[in-house]
Amino acid sequence: MPDEHKEDSQEINHYEFSGIEERHGKIPKWLGFVYVVMLIWMVYYLVRFWTDKG
Amino acid sequence: MSSVAAADRDDLVDREVVLRFLLSAAFWLVFAPTIGVILSIKFNYYDFLGNVSWLTWGRLRPVHVMGVIFGAFSTAIVGLTYYMVPRLCGIRMYKENWSRALLWIWNIGLTASLISLPLGQNLGIEAGEFPLWSNIVVEIALIMITIQVLVTVVRRKEPRIYVTLWYLTASYVWTVFNYAFGHFILPYSMPGVNNAAMHGLYIHYVVGLWITPAGLAVIYYFLPLSAKRPLYSHKLSLVGFWSLAFFYPFVGTHHYIYSPIPYWTQTIAIVASMMLIIPVWTVIQNFYGTFVGNWKRFQESYTAKFLIIGALFYLLGCFQGSTEALRGMQRLTHFTDFVIAHSHLTVFGTFILWVTAGMYYVIPRVSGHELYSKSLAQWHYWLTVAGFSVMASVLTLQGLLQGTMLDVGADFVDSMVAMKPYWFARTLAGVTMDIGALLGMWNFYMTVMHGKRIEAPAGAPLASEPQWT
Repeated sequence: MPDEHKEDSQEINHYEFSGIEERHGKIPKWLGFVYVVMLIWMVYYLVRFWTDKG
Repeated sequence: MSSVAAADRDDLVDREVVLRFLLSAAFWLVFAPTIGVILSIKFNYYDFLGNVSWLTWGRLRPVHVMGVIFGAFSTAIVGLTYYMVPRLCGIRMYKENWSRALLWIWNIGLTASLISLPLGQNLGIEAGEFPLWSNIVVEIALIMITIQVLVTVVRRKEPRIYVTLWYLTASYVWTVFNYAFGHFILPYSMPGVNNAAMHGLYIHYVVGLWITPAGLAVIYYFLPLSAKRPLYSHKLSLVGFWSLAFFYPFVGTHHYIYSPIPYWTQTIAIVASMMLIIPVWTVIQNFYGTFVGNWKRFQESYTAKFLIIGALFYLLGCFQGSTEALRGMQRLTHFTDFVIAHSHLTVFGTFILWVTAGMYYVIPRVSGHELYSKSLAQWHYWLTVAGFSVMASVLTLQGLLQGTMLDVGADFVDSMVAMKPYWFARTLAGVTMDIGALLGMWNFYMTVMHGKRIEAPAGAPLASEPQWT
């Protein structure tokens, strides 16, 4: 399975008229970690600071 | 990647329109920052330009702000749109004759609008200051370009829609509505604090739903072409686009932290601002992931140089903007030059540099001429980087200093006196950047007029790739 994912992420899309190519690509683990941390922080901050508690 | 083969597709582009838009953008790219330099001198010499009403701070600042947003940046974006969209769609632009009319409508409208501001015609909405007649012209122009883009995308031959087209179509559609909101609704309705809250949204829609997505459209187009490598990740493009579209609409109220606007709306704005870390870091990962393995392009290509340095300023400026929204940072930095540092890091340091990168790529190809002078390009780049690095650092530092002094109870006048050396450094930095811009734009003009020909006759593909682009 990991190999399949790797192959999938290396798949390349070609855009004929512009000459641009793009990999299907992946989301690096470190960035996924940032997403999770930010989402947890968002929930915390919204709950904690929804109203002015003085 | 077959770049030379792709150059064949320049037959899809209305070269004359693209060149004229980009050369007029070159004029605005010198003009609008020059007004900024003139304004900065007023900080050092308060009676500079005397008491002539139309040369006062209040009259000239809108010329600088509106000139950069709608003159320098937007004119370049329109020109690049007419280059990128046909090539991404595989067909010529819908209603090309509109583009030729729009060139004149846009530039004459802009010129008249920027003249009207020093004469005292001003709607009083920051970043929405053009008078009513001018706004009708700009709105009509925006609607026409949006129709051109949308219909071209719908009729495209290219099966897939590349990320540049997502950003471009979204930015035009959002801006058609936001421009109408900011110029036809906001100044005439919603009095008091509601108006302030809505203005916060409007001004950040200009930044976040026009400048940012249009700028990202440019970077996603020219990044793989200048790096000569495939874009790192389509998946990341998806995350970046949708997280920007989801979070940015809530950001604007962060201009009014500690104001009478309801506390929970301020909290949402703070959270949305911080959450912009997601799209920004995603774009940066996609950017540097694409360049990894081919960093030598940094030495070879001025498109790559401007893209890379712009991406660095993007990371710094956006992180500064996100954290600046936090209540603790707002308390320290509000009403200080820290805010000005942020706006310059993003609008100039990032998006103006990215459209400049696009111009370095497009102008030689569309004109069929080699870049006129590598030396001028070199000077343009390094004067811009040196000047802007000083300006961004100085503004950030002085903002923190101002905020700290006021926070500990220093006298306001003393905090102003302490700023004198910083303001002088800012003016010198601005002059440096302006000289750089002037050399760069002169290089573009000379490329078009006197560059060495690399084009085969009668619209045939370029004989070779232009050097240094």
